[in-house]
Amino acid sequence: MADILVYALHDDDGVFNKNSQGAISEAAKLASETGGEASVVVVGDVADGAAAGLGKYGPSKVYRAKSCPEGLAQPIVDVMAKVITDNSIGYALFGGGLLGFEIGAGLTARLNAGVTMEVTAVRVDGNKLVAERPVLQDSAIVDVGYVSEPGIIIGRLNAFDVKESDTGDAEVIDIDVELSEWSTKATMVTRGEARGADVKIEDAEILVGGGRGLGEKDNFKLAEDLASSLGGAVAATRAVVDAGWYPYSTQIGQTGKTVAPKLYLAVGISGAIQHKVGMQSSENILAINKDQNAPIFEFCDLGFVGDLHKIMPKLTEAIKAKKGS
Amino acid sequence: MAVAPEDFPPPFEAEDYIGPPTDAEDERLEVGVAIVGGGPAGLACANKLMQLLADEPELTERLGEVPVAVVEKGKACGAHLLSGANMKPAAMLELFPDMDPSEWPAYGEVTDDAVYLLTKNRALPLVPMPPNFKNEGNYTVSVAKLGRFLADRAEEAGAYILTETTADKLLVEDRIVRGVRSGDKGRDREGKELGNFEPGSDLMAKATVLCEGTLGHLSNSALDYYDLHGHDPQRWELGVKEIWEVPEPLTKVIHTMGWPLRKSAKFNEFGGSFIYPMGEDKLCIGMVIGLDYTDATVSCHDLLQELKTHPFVRKLLAGGKRVGWGAKTIPSGGYWAMPKRLAVPGMMICGDAAGMVNIPTLKGVHYAMHAGMYAAETIVESLKKDPESVDFSAYEGRVRGSLIEKDLYQSRNMRQPFEKGFFVGGAIASAMTATRGAFPAGHWDQEPDDAHEMSIGKGAAGYPKPDGELTFDKLGSVFLSGNATRDDAPNHVKIQRHVPREIAQTWVSMCPAQVYEIPEAQLANGTATVDVDVTASNCVQCGAITAKGGRLTMPEGGDGPLYQEV
Repeated sequence: MADILVYALHDDDGVFNKNSQGAISEAAKLASETGGEASVVVVGDVADGAAAGLGKYGPSKVYRAKSCPEGLAQPIVDVMAKVITDNSIGYALFGGGLLGFEIGAGLTARLNAGVTMEVTAVRVDGNKLVAERPVLQDSAIVDVGYVSEPGIIIGRLNAFDVKESDTGDAEVIDIDVELSEWSTKATMVTRGEARGADVKIEDAEILVGGGRGLGEKDNFKLAEDLASSLGGAVAATRAVVDAGWYPYSTQIGQTGKTVAPKLYLAVGISGAIQHKVGMQSSENILAINKDQNAPIFEFCDLGFVGDLHKIMPKLTEAIKAKKGS
Repeated sequence: MAVAPEDFPPPFEAEDYIGPPTDAEDERLEVGVAIVGGGPAGLACANKLMQLLADEPELTERLGEVPVAVVEKGKACGAHLLSGANMKPAAMLELFPDMDPSEWPAYGEVTDDAVYLLTKNRALPLVPMPPNFKNEGNYTVSVAKLGRFLADRAEEAGAYILTETTADKLLVEDRIVRGVRSGDKGRDREGKELGNFEPGSDLMAKATVLCEGTLGHLSNSALDYYDLHGHDPQRWELGVKEIWEVPEPLTKVIHTMGWPLRKSAKFNEFGGSFIYPMGEDKLCIGMVIGLDYTDATVSCHDLLQELKTHPFVRKLLAGGKRVGWGAKTIPSGGYWAMPKRLAVPGMMICGDAAGMVNIPTLKGVHYAMHAGMYAAETIVESLKKDPESVDFSAYEGRVRGSLIEKDLYQSRNMRQPFEKGFFVGGAIASAMTATRGAFPAGHWDQEPDDAHEMSIGKGAAGYPKPDGELTFDKLGSVFLSGNATRDDAPNHVKIQRHVPREIAQTWVSMCPAQVYEIPEAQLANGTATVDVDVTASNCVQCGAITAKGGRLTMPEGGDGPLYQEV
């Protein structure tokens, strides 16, 4: 039996983070495989309905610490450490994201626990969890088991898929946690996206990624038109961000963001490995490129060799027509 | 049009990187000895210093809270180290007399070796083997691992290792070296301060030891400032290396000459390959070419890819998988190109930074370590006599009286004859080895690498299309080097950005990490001069650009590759 606790991050509008939702779904699945229980920690001003509503991802309980501020690592470490200790919970699971890394690291130190970072998958072995973690620039996967509990598992961005089920509402339990002295030293002034992203490409279900093959800055219009016809967002490769064609907040890849949309449409992207590592978990990859030897054709699901300047406007038109009908 | 890279010098002035301290006096960091570079030279120096200081409590006290500090720009010591390498054990035995060689980070002693002359389809063993290639009794090592090992020993002994820190400026007052200034962190591409900006600091030291390795930023600046350049200009070769996991262990050290390099004197392609065993399941394979070649389309990265398609080499790699990649230059000017002095008031230069490499025998690691130890001995001796002494000239004498000088003198003219083509050059070099350098005697002149006129030839004709299994493209290789440099970091590569096509093509082809590109629109339009785009975040700091018309300066500390085992 393995009980698992997940931290769910919400934004100022009360919307839960997609990676948190994924982590909850994953925890519920893993816990049920071992006959254990998944529970969630939320902090701050979360409405009853919203907290209970997390039940749709499968956990049975939601612990709510109203007096604890959202977005700061140390207070949340206090809350999670208490919940884990009071309820003898075996594992804490985090979706991807910097805050999760920080809380996970703090919790590890606090509870003298074992920790695995950048985890891409978790499985059950007997009654214990085993985390899988890519190493050596993702060229190999290592299995990491835990010799004692609690074990801390911190996922990579988009490692866990969101799965809704009809399990109904979760039980909401309000808890009072006395914050450590050092946890109250920092206060949240304002929350926002540091890189100035007005579009959250990590959350988009459909992405049109533009590369150097677009030819020039103005041709990003083609990508924007296509994206808007599909109801998606536009992302970019390092080369075009470098060239100043598109903002850094949209950069995907090794030194940019990691995305896993349902559909990734790569236009004019050769598919260098630095880009691939940022989008390879996309469910469907479609590529348009004039060079039939481009590496992207080795890992896309559907590829078109041809002139994107001709294909894209027609594709946009066709999608609009189909949606209009 | 025939043009030489030296006619398009980079926007760079050595004086910009040399000057007095700028921090307020109470904000400067005081250390005893500042060692720049955590490689074999710097870390041998640090280890030796800690050993000697263990018997000198008074001197240690005077050196302050941080008696020995090693400044290393990589994420760890070893992260930027790359070599063959078959190491002569002498320096390790001297530095750690009580340590058994089985404790060294080595893949064992070399027991067998062979040299082959490659033609396009055949591999002809050279018997008897040219004597300079004999490696029996040497130890195959990864310097990336050796660096980590030596750093651990130095730290255990009490040295401070400051990783992810660059030495950006040499602190000089009244021509006396007083330490180094570390580089800023957290600037954007235009140099503006970002939210995480951290300014560098003045690191004041009683002695400064430059152990920066090949093409050292401060070392080269100091050579200019103090007019220390040797009789001949320094020159370099570029090596590109891969680590392969293989099902069948390799049992001997292999060197090859000939194909895929062209043997005609016209192309001036001097070099060869090395293939060394690394235990039961791995081997390394590398290609080296002198940077005095003249065909702008030559790419060492792709020569290595081509080499792997040779039937003889393909067989060694069959069923294997590439797991590591890296690139680095090697000083190859030898004896005549060594700085004319190795010490100035307050400072010494050791190892590759001072050109201590014996090209015919492909040895340098142990020279670097010996030099580092000589520097350590000199510092302790001088400061014991006079705590304010800046006279470290005894280091000079130690090196000049050592096997470093002797070995390099014997092979002083070995590299030059190869400008006469492979076979003539090979014959002369063999005669030199046999006579320990006595014949042909005298001094054979050398030209700097960037003085050779470049033309666009057909060097790239045979380079294979990357298949992702045996052969790879440059970006795939850079990825495997562990390089994940922040994209908006300032550009540390200084070149002219609008140059004749021959020069631009030289940089584009030469760079193993795809830092330089000619804009697509200009690639085929035939204009005589073109723009050069620079993607500095790809840079693995091999140094080749400095040899061939540009100048590598310090990136932000921690940037660049993270070599594990190359």
